[in-house]
Formats: sequence, structure tokens, C-alpha cells
Amino acid sequence: MRASSRSKFREGRGLLTLILAAALGLSLLSVDWTGGLLHSGGVSYAVRIFGGMFTPELSPKFLALALEATWNTLTFAVTGVTLAVGIGLPLGIAASGVLFSEGWLRTSTVAAARFVLAFLRSIHELVWAWLFVVAFGLSPMAAILALALPYSGILGRLYGDFLNDVPQNPLRALRASGASEFKTLAYGRIPMAMPDMLSYTFYRFECGVRSAAILSFVGIQGLGYQIQLSMDDLLYDQVWTLMYLLVAVIVAIDVWSSVVRRNLTR
Amino acid sequence: MTAHDPTLDFQKVAKSGLSMPMASLLGFIGLAVVSWASILWGGKSGFSELFMTGTWAGVAEFIGQLLGRGTERTPAFLDFASWRDALWLSLDTIAMSVLAIGFAALAVLLTFLPAARNVAFGELSGNRSAIGCAGFFLMRGVFVFTRGVPELLWAMLIVFVFSPGILPGAIALGLHNYGILGKLSAEVVEDLDPRPARALRTAGASNLQMLLYGVLPQLLPQFLTYMLYRWEVVIRTTIVVGFVAAGGLGREFRLGMSFFQYDKVMLFLMCYLLLVLGVDLIAAWLRRLVR
Repeated sequence: MRASSRSKFREGRGLLTLILAAALGLSLLSVDWTGGLLHSGGVSYAVRIFGGMFTPELSPKFLALALEATWNTLTFAVTGVTLAVGIGLPLGIAASGVLFSEGWLRTSTVAAARFVLAFLRSIHELVWAWLFVVAFGLSPMAAILALALPYSGILGRLYGDFLNDVPQNPLRALRASGASEFKTLAYGRIPMAMPDMLSYTFYRFECGVRSAAILSFVGIQGLGYQIQLSMDDLLYDQVWTLMYLLVAVIVAIDVWSSVVRRNLTR
Repeated sequence: MTAHDPTLDFQKVAKSGLSMPMASLLGFIGLAVVSWASILWGGKSGFSELFMTGTWAGVAEFIGQLLGRGTERTPAFLDFASWRDALWLSLDTIAMSVLAIGFAALAVLLTFLPAARNVAFGELSGNRSAIGCAGFFLMRGVFVFTRGVPELLWAMLIVFVFSPGILPGAIALGLHNYGILGKLSAEVVEDLDPRPARALRTAGASNLQMLLYGVLPQLLPQFLTYMLYRWEVVIRTTIVVGFVAAGGLGREFRLGMSFFQYDKVMLFLMCYLLLVLGVDLIAAWLRRLVR
């Protein structure tokens, strides 16, 4: 490495450290430290809430309820993510611009698709959910749409990137043998990008379970809803049973996805 | 990736009946079909309402209210004083996101080491110990659990303990991101080049010196990149955590929705989009400094 580029490199790091430290310091200043950080009785609440961690409620009746809630959350995650793939894939293909040759048509399609994707993913699923509940009324479909829109924004952007980043030589071979851009996509890009696309979709599925659980905030049934009910009744043992079930589902999906990924990339 | 040989695949499929990815795909499709069926036919799904004019009239009405129709005063998003207040709240929201990612990052830097397989099982340092193995499973368990529980649920628990404000929100966001950053950091350490650490060990370096000169220089650039990427995600989530932790834009958004002041909701959504865009740009710039 040349001396000049090395000192520049150091400078960047130093500046970054300074910025990060200053940001953290300023943020700490904006906390109101004078008003008492804890509730009166906050400590005893903390002891009761986090004490429940070690004594989760395991009665068969409650477990049946908890498993039903888990299934509900899972169905919302699955339907939301499948819809997100359905919306995200065409948008992602449009955003990657691979279907067009150079020209104004390609530029404008890519720009429009990227803008739509960016807009969809900037708004959190729970904000979408709340807006939809007000607009459509409380229904499972509103929740699924709320989950699917931001997820399609994230998936579409990454699908587009993956489709662009595939090795170029096999594509040239396909084109040389007379394949159209569409056939190059279907038989070249998509198969080559598949492992990355699949593994990222799995990761979003895992996130989808978490998101589906918190859709309870707008009144959708599931793990989060039951957690809220148990919190309101001050039954912290039940809260932790539900939390453990949520974590178990997420770990199961994580393991599933790593097994699939290992098989695909081997 | 190795070169792809289709005959090998064929043999594998022929032997096991069904390849693992194929079985997974079929399994997922099955799950999807059952889920969609249980939503669409399991009571009122709201699907048919999507095709009724009444629903869309309601949607149009709501969008009209968001755009300020039906309020006597000037819509909040055209009013200077409202913008000023909302931007102050946005500063609170930014502070909450910075604190969240700062807490998470500091906690990870203090605890990532036992969670890396090569460190815990002594492949890097050359001595294996039972404490190392126990620490590995404990820390991995903590990471899995903190990351498995969504931010909003952490916030619901934490508001019982802390006074409302940006601090409980930051702690809730920090806990979830601690699990994510911790897992990613441990994986980076597991994948790092062991030769510098080994060379240091042969030269007589202590464990601390190995950490400082053998592990951290390789970990930190990756760690900062992940941290900045998570910050982009955190800023999108701060508003949601603010719903329950009563801090920043989230609280006002919730109040606006509860009092049907949709022009204010529109203003907060605009601030929110500005924050998301601003943080994306700042994070992209900071990432360039890392390289």
C-alpha cells in the first residue's frame, strides 16, 4: 500500500471514530436523566417480570392455547412472505433492468421500480398495518398486505441485485446460442441467483414470524396478542412460555435455512 | 462453490428419492397452501372485501383525511410551527436510534469473544477449557434469545421498568440488535484468518495482545459495516417502538391516530420518510469511511 493512501485510510477511520463517539455522546445528552429513570416500583416489577423467565407456565390447557397462537402467527408469516415474493420478484426483475437492452425504456423502468421498492420498504410493517386497519378495517387480509408490502420492497431490491451480480459468461453463451433476454433470465440468471435468493427469502421468513407476532398491536390474533393479554393480567409465567415458543419457531426456521443453504452451495 | 456436475445431482436424487432443497421447497409450498387456505376459509378473511367498492370508498376517504380534507385549520403538514415541533421530535427519534445501536455495539464488543467457536474451543489460542465451551453455549443462547424476541415485545416488557421516554425504547431496540450483531460478529471471528493470531501466539503474545492485534483489526471493519446496516433498520423501527415506549415520533404518531388527527399523521409520516432517507445517506457515507 502506498504511503499516501495509507494515511488517507487512517484518516477515514479516525474521522469515523470521532463521528460515532460524538453521535453517542449527543444522544446520551438528549435523555432526560433528571426525572428518575425507573418507575417507582420499577425494580420490583423487573424482578417479577424477569423472574418468570425461569418458571414458564406449562399447564396443558395453556400450552394448547399457546400452540394455537403459534400456528396463527406462523400462518400470517407464511402468507405474508409468499405474497411478498409474488410482488417482489416481478418488481425486482424490473429493477434489475435485465429484460431490456440499453435505452430510455430500460432507464425509466429501472428508476420507477427502484423508487417503488424504496418506498415500500421505508415504512415499517406495523405502520402499514395501522394505516390498513384504519382504511380497510381489521381483517387478516389487511395484516397480510401490511406484512407483504415492506417485505416485497426488501426482497425485490435484493432479488434485483442478485440477478445483476451473476457470472456473465454463461449468459453470453446463452445469448450466443440465440436465447432472448427473457430466456436468458429464466435459464441463466434465475438458476444462478437461486441459492442467494432462497437463503435471503428464508431469512425474511424468519423476520416475518417476528413481524407477524407484533401485528397483535393492531389486534391480529397470534403470539403477540396472547403475550399482551398475559401482560395485562400480570401473568408473567405465561408471557415467557409464549416468548420461548416464538424463539423456538425462529430457531427452527434458522436451522432449516442453514441446512438448505449448505445443500445448495455444496 | 465447486463446478456443477448434473450427473452427480442425478445420482444424489436417485439415491435419496428427493434432494433436500427439493423436499424443503415442497414442504414450504405445502405450508403456504395450508396457511392461505386457513386464512381464506377460516372465518372472515377480508379477502372478498378487497373487491368491493365500499371498501375502496373508505380507503379514498382515509387518504383524503391524510391529505388534510375535513380539517378546519390548516393541515399540519402545511403549517410551519407543526413542522418545527415534528422536527424536534425527529431529533429525539434519531437519538433513540443512535443510543440503541450504540448500546448494542458496546455490549457486543464486550461479549462477542466467547461466542466464536474457534475462540471458545481453543483452536485460536491453543488451549481448550471447559469454561470456554460453557461460555460458548451460554453466549450463543443469549444471542439467539435476544434476537428471537422482536423489539416491540422487548419494549412492552421494559416500559414496566423504566419511565417512558427515549431510554426504554433505546434499550428495547438495543437488546434485539445486540443478538443480531453478536451473532454476526461471532461468525466473522469464526471465519477470520487464524494465521496472524497464531503468529502472535508463537511470538509469545498474551491473550489480550492476541485479541487486540490478531482479532480486532480483522473484525472491526466488518463489524462497523454490519452496525451501520443495522442502524438503517433501527431507524425504521424506532417509530414502532415509540408507540409503546412513548418516545419521539412514535408517541405522537400514536396520539394522532387515536384522536383521528390524520393531517398530523401525514406530517409524522413525512418526517419518518425523511429520517429513513437521511439515515440511509449518512450510513452509506460512513460505510465509505470504513473501507
